[in-house]
Amino acid sequence: MAAVGWPGCAKSLKGVLLDMCGVLYDSGEGDGVAIAGSVEAVKRLKASDLQLRFCTNETQATREAFVAKLRRLGFDISVSEVFSPAPAAIAILKERGLRPHLLVYDGLLPEFDSVDKTNANCVVIGDAAEKFSYQNLNEAFRVLIGLENPVLFSLGQGRYYKETDGLKLDVGVYMKALEYACDLKAEVIGKPSPMFFQSVLSDMGLQPHEALMIGDDLVNDVGGAQSCGMKGVQVRTGKYRLSDEKHPTVTADGTVDNLAQAVDMILNQRGQ
Amino acid sequence: MAGRRALKAVLIDLSGTLHIEDTAVPGAQEALNRLRQASVAVKFVTNTTKESKRILLERLQRLNFDLQEKEIFTSLSAARSFLEQKQHRPLLLVEDSALEDFTGIDTSEPNAVVIGLAPDHFNYQTLNKAFRMILDGAPLIAIHKARYYKRKDGLALGPGPFVTGLEYATDCKATVVGKPENTFFTQALSDLGCSPSEAVMIGDDARDDVGGAQNAGMLGILVRTGKYREGDEKKINPPPHLTCTSFPEAVEHILKNLL
Repeated sequence: MAAVGWPGCAKSLKGVLLDMCGVLYDSGEGDGVAIAGSVEAVKRLKASDLQLRFCTNETQATREAFVAKLRRLGFDISVSEVFSPAPAAIAILKERGLRPHLLVYDGLLPEFDSVDKTNANCVVIGDAAEKFSYQNLNEAFRVLIGLENPVLFSLGQGRYYKETDGLKLDVGVYMKALEYACDLKAEVIGKPSPMFFQSVLSDMGLQPHEALMIGDDLVNDVGGAQSCGMKGVQVRTGKYRLSDEKHPTVTADGTVDNLAQAVDMILNQRGQ
Repeated sequence: MAGRRALKAVLIDLSGTLHIEDTAVPGAQEALNRLRQASVAVKFVTNTTKESKRILLERLQRLNFDLQEKEIFTSLSAARSFLEQKQHRPLLLVEDSALEDFTGIDTSEPNAVVIGLAPDHFNYQTLNKAFRMILDGAPLIAIHKARYYKRKDGLALGPGPFVTGLEYATDCKATVVGKPENTFFTQALSDLGCSPSEAVMIGDDARDDVGGAQNAGMLGILVRTGKYREGDEKKINPPPHLTCTSFPEAVEHILKNLL
């Protein structure tokens, strides 16, 4: 087992986890655009004997709205196959009796309808995009600095992502800003948290070595998956940058041009 | 003072040392006048992100301090000389009130990012723009990295969090130009023609004023006014050359012992 690298490891795989933005599609104006070959690649994976789950740090919309968008782009996908940070966060808030001040995108707010938000005793930030104004960040900062035991949850910790009109700062940047301002460490929910990957594996009933993660984010997708024992392959789409291939701490098990090529290689290894 | 050369320059912090908001520290104006009668150069140094030298000068003159604009050296001045030295064309994320300290600097087709405190500019679009420039190789220059500051309506985020966020996004390290950086102090001394070992700094911030100056090779005197809190002198190693009640006492010490 230990000696089998990419793509040989595909022979013994039982499940595949796919990142979404930057692997299936590029976000941007309207629904964004599907990445060439990805719609077909998802179809082929679904037709194979491999289990398939989607694993996203998307926090700008509810899962329902997000899945509807992907279906409009032509992807065969349903809500129960998608894992995102907001539902995981809600479970943690309820378990610990925490009431959040939310700094998230308007589209995500309905996910938190069932959560008590009065008299906040923690802050949850997601990718709030244009809602990341000085004013809104300052409000979150004041909630934290006013708490005896400040707790900050960050839905993901991405540095940036790619939209059709260029790279955009992601939630991790604002998480770091609040960490520095309040001298605290945020709890990250979503990739690359091992707990998050583990919940997807449990849903498939698989061990880490039986699953492969494919993503465009070297640190959060590939590195995160690797640190809980899965293989991680990076695609050269989305936020991929040439410098990722000589990253000081994370080395992908494989790097492929796009999802279509990854799926070709996997299915070839399996003789399908 | 074995091994030290005769004192040639005194650097003085403004807010918290000479005045607190619109009130002068008692006796500070007369103490400054006494210091000026000695054969020593005087310079006023401060970390500011939004107040130009002119605004600072006007406030001090209203409080009857005797000084000139050319004697003021701020973190904005430090940013300006850094830009000139490197011939950078900056995207300036500073408040409009600070822009006049950058008059004459070429800002066309910017190739560097300067971050001060700019609540009006710290929005998603502008930060994205700054981010893309840094990712393409533009240096990130921070006026300073304060976490937050006190406003009339409560605490508010300083430039530090935004600088830290951009550092994280781009995997780079910002060049900080304000106190407590070594270069800030050496630049402040540069036109006085004296070395750090011939200078002393007086301020109310143990880390940024006294610690920074002493790291740069100067002496540091901590005053117990402004933001000073009991025990601050123990927060730095080596400890301050002297900790005293207020600016007038610091001047007396210099006149008696360091000249």
